[in-house]
Amino acid sequence: MTSMTWALVVVPLTLLLLGFPIFLVLLTAVTAMVIFVMNVPPVVLHQNMFGTINQFALLAVPFFIYAGELMGRGSVAQRLVDFVQSVTSPVRGSLGITTVGTTTIFGAISGVSAAAVATIGKVMYPAMRKAGYPDHFAAGLITAVGAIDIIIPPSIPMIVYGAAAEESVPRLYAAGIIPGLLIAGLLGAYVIWYARRHDIGRGEPFNWSRCVTATRRGLWALGAPFIILGGIYGGVFSPTEAAAVACIYAGFVTRFVFHELSAKDIIEAASSTAVFTAQILIIVACAGVFSWILTVNQVPALMAHWLQQYSVAPWMFLLAINVLLLAVGCFLDPLSAILLLTPLLVPMVKAIGIDTVHFGVVVTVNLAIGLFHPPFGINIFVAQSVLGIPLKTLYRGIIPFLFVYLVALGIITYIPEVSLFGVKLLMGK
Amino acid sequence: MVNRIVGSLMRGLELILGVALIAIVLLNFANVVGRYVFNHSLLGAEEVQVYTMIWMTFLGAGIVTWRNMHLRMDAIAINFPKPVQTILRWAEAVLAIGVVGYAITQSSWFYVNRIFAFGSKSDVAHLPMWIPHSAVLIGLALVIVMLILRAAGWGAKPIEDPESAALEQRQ
Repeated sequence: MTSMTWALVVVPLTLLLLGFPIFLVLLTAVTAMVIFVMNVPPVVLHQNMFGTINQFALLAVPFFIYAGELMGRGSVAQRLVDFVQSVTSPVRGSLGITTVGTTTIFGAISGVSAAAVATIGKVMYPAMRKAGYPDHFAAGLITAVGAIDIIIPPSIPMIVYGAAAEESVPRLYAAGIIPGLLIAGLLGAYVIWYARRHDIGRGEPFNWSRCVTATRRGLWALGAPFIILGGIYGGVFSPTEAAAVACIYAGFVTRFVFHELSAKDIIEAASSTAVFTAQILIIVACAGVFSWILTVNQVPALMAHWLQQYSVAPWMFLLAINVLLLAVGCFLDPLSAILLLTPLLVPMVKAIGIDTVHFGVVVTVNLAIGLFHPPFGINIFVAQSVLGIPLKTLYRGIIPFLFVYLVALGIITYIPEVSLFGVKLLMGK
Repeated sequence: MVNRIVGSLMRGLELILGVALIAIVLLNFANVVGRYVFNHSLLGAEEVQVYTMIWMTFLGAGIVTWRNMHLRMDAIAINFPKPVQTILRWAEAVLAIGVVGYAITQSSWFYVNRIFAFGSKSDVAHLPMWIPHSAVLIGLALVIVMLILRAAGWGAKPIEDPESAALEQRQ
């Protein structure tokens, strides 16, 4: 085994499995390369760490987290639930549909999945139980549906993928919309089928005055996705600017319209956001050095060449990638997984002729599944802690939804148009 | 005593970083409004925002270390026997101090000194480039201090959010 294999594969993989922090895993690998393998001045460490996060596009990460933090602290989730419930009330399984619908809309405001599970779960879980939905079904649905939020724009993992793969964030966002809605649609269809089969969740007649009141109450919350997506695709502002405008909007609505957050709350949310940002961007910085070292040692190019030599068909490659990403997603959070794998995979993807925007969506959907995939998906533990549901009930409840997601993943992986149609529609090419 | 002093310092730093975040959000928004309403953009605003984010990242990394909030893949490691976990925690501290120390002394210190001596300035706002670059140096130094304090048994809990609350319960 060469010393490069040790430094770039064996050491990082071992440290990763032993539970060392991701930034340290990456920094150790690159330091070992600089000291023992490569003949480069150590100053490349600083240059690449700084250079990687010296990007205007990355500002969208703290801005979108902040907008989500502000919106998540007030009554936005409850208002959205009331709105969706007032529209879907006549449908069989309406509370389940409301959970799916609300999480989807919440996903268009915030790009953080655990927040959706906690916020919407707290409102919907007791309501669903009271309406006669079995515990495992309600818990499984709430845990699984939250993963949509990193597929529907704005999505933090997509910003990080965009930075790592040098791909445009507006294109990735446009590509995420239809896959997100497809998953929501499939989950909704399953909920209706389940409710019919078990004779639960009978609908109630549509009530116009209730709908009008709920819409009026929910209007301010519903405005955020329009501003974000309308602003980006109307050519009014860049994703980073859209994120800043979303912060101002969220601050204004929660402080002056809903009168829920004090000035202190707004500053506190900003402080938490700064720490969450550091948690992510320190890994982005170290991953930048790792990626630079891989590139100058021609590792991705060699892997792409190897792939071409064996003339692997794109469908086989995508199948292998799905298996790999599902496995990785079970253990690793989406952002770290993207940062570790994108520099290796994207050159191979390009060599084999797969669209990198389509691939970005495939990666995101796979890692979204990892968020609730038993036994370690983080949203399982969020649901367990916030809703007080035993793990066994959760695991049992999640399995059917896992299959729904896998069906969607198959469609999204093998029909690139599902992702790319949104790009054509919103960006013209 | 140490927990109280460092804890207050870190909370103060969190507050400063929070206010800095609000400032760059407002600056970004002002630029959007300026462009559409007054047909005028603040030159160099983008650089100021990005450099603030870089400071936020590296100083924030110190807080993340103090609060033990670094992202890691611990699904397997949390099942190790307690003595093994203790050894791993020590190994992690030693490795981190070594690797981050190397980055500071052999890389960042040298680079910041060089860029200070050259007097390079940013393209648009003409800010001295040693200012944003120092973020890496000072931030990593803060990380080292926090690593040593944590290895000695001090530290604070993660920020309350659903994800870290869940992780803590799992451990």
